[in-house]
Amino acid sequence: MTKNRRLILPAVLAGIALLVVAALYLAEAAGDLPSFFPGHEAGSGRHHVKHGIAAAAVAAACFVVAWFQTEPKSRRGAAAA
Amino acid sequence: MDPISYFQAAVLGLLQGVAELFPISSLGHSVILPRLLGWDIHQNDDYFVTFLVATHFATAIVLFVFFREDWKRILTGMGRSLRDREIAADDTDAKLGWLLFAGTIPAGLLGLALEHALRSAFASAQSAAGFLVLNGVMLYGAERLRRRAPAPGDGGGDADAVIARRLGWRAALGIGTAQAIALIPGFSRSGASMGGGLLAGLSNEHAARFSFLLATPIIGAAALLKLPELFGAQGDGIRGPALLGAVCAAFTAYLAVRFLVRFFATNRLTPFAVYCTAAGAVLSVVFLAT
Repeated sequence: MTKNRRLILPAVLAGIALLVVAALYLAEAAGDLPSFFPGHEAGSGRHHVKHGIAAAAVAAACFVVAWFQTEPKSRRGAAAA
Repeated sequence: MDPISYFQAAVLGLLQGVAELFPISSLGHSVILPRLLGWDIHQNDDYFVTFLVATHFATAIVLFVFFREDWKRILTGMGRSLRDREIAADDTDAKLGWLLFAGTIPAGLLGLALEHALRSAFASAQSAAGFLVLNGVMLYGAERLRRRAPAPGDGGGDADAVIARRLGWRAALGIGTAQAIALIPGFSRSGASMGGGLLAGLSNEHAARFSFLLATPIIGAAALLKLPELFGAQGDGIRGPALLGAVCAAFTAYLAVRFLVRFFATNRLTPFAVYCTAAGAVLSVVFLAT
């Protein structure tokens, strides 16, 4: 599997940003979300739980991508030897 | 009086279990059947949506149990690859697991974003019949455009190894995305994913296998997200029929997956294409006339 170490930092940053987005969706009512957020509804008290779950799932995918770009255990072990 | 009677729940459950796995659109048939039988059940009614949650959940459980040994290997492989930070070239289980993961993400996101809008826009039996025709065209088109013609011995060897070798990440993403077409009543999730598998170079047997494995997390997750509705106020008056519907759906889903796994070892999507096109056309005329 080809690795691209340059992907690690962007993937981690994207994952963190999406976790923040997920937390906002879960914690804030639709009316309190930033106006540019999908699902913002002025005056609404409902929570977009599914949006939060979706953001968390994509965040997990970003972290997985970053993880797989790091040095595999087998090669680190061989290098140390 | 229950919004769905126990008899209706049994019929809809039996239908759901079959239609979810056959490439003939379970949502389309769930919309069409009540109209054909004169039942006062509409797909956007809250209680019907709640009822479908139970039947979908039952189907997902059946699929997971049917493929439980495979899921054990796949999940173990994924864990192994995370531990080692790589998917080893010969680790079929890990590769397949991550392909399924890649296919599930776009389907899940599109489902969350578009489900309500598409169901509202295409809520009628008339439109479901029309899209059923297009579903038939989609299945037939997948068979015509498939990358590889069916060959003797296509089904031989380790199916998962063949799938992991032939499918790339883009293909898995594409197949997963294609499933979202099933948000439109009349189009089939399994048909779209099987068709996508054929276009990616898989045989009918392997495309079906990948489709069934892909179905488990997406149907299961969608049902799990909505389960609180079944146990909340929205489930009042529907839980009993939903339970019966779920049991019936589980029964026919089990029979369906057993049948289809054997069917696609030697057969193609064409019979289902013919059925969908013909049934959709006839139903369109019937609904227009009435």
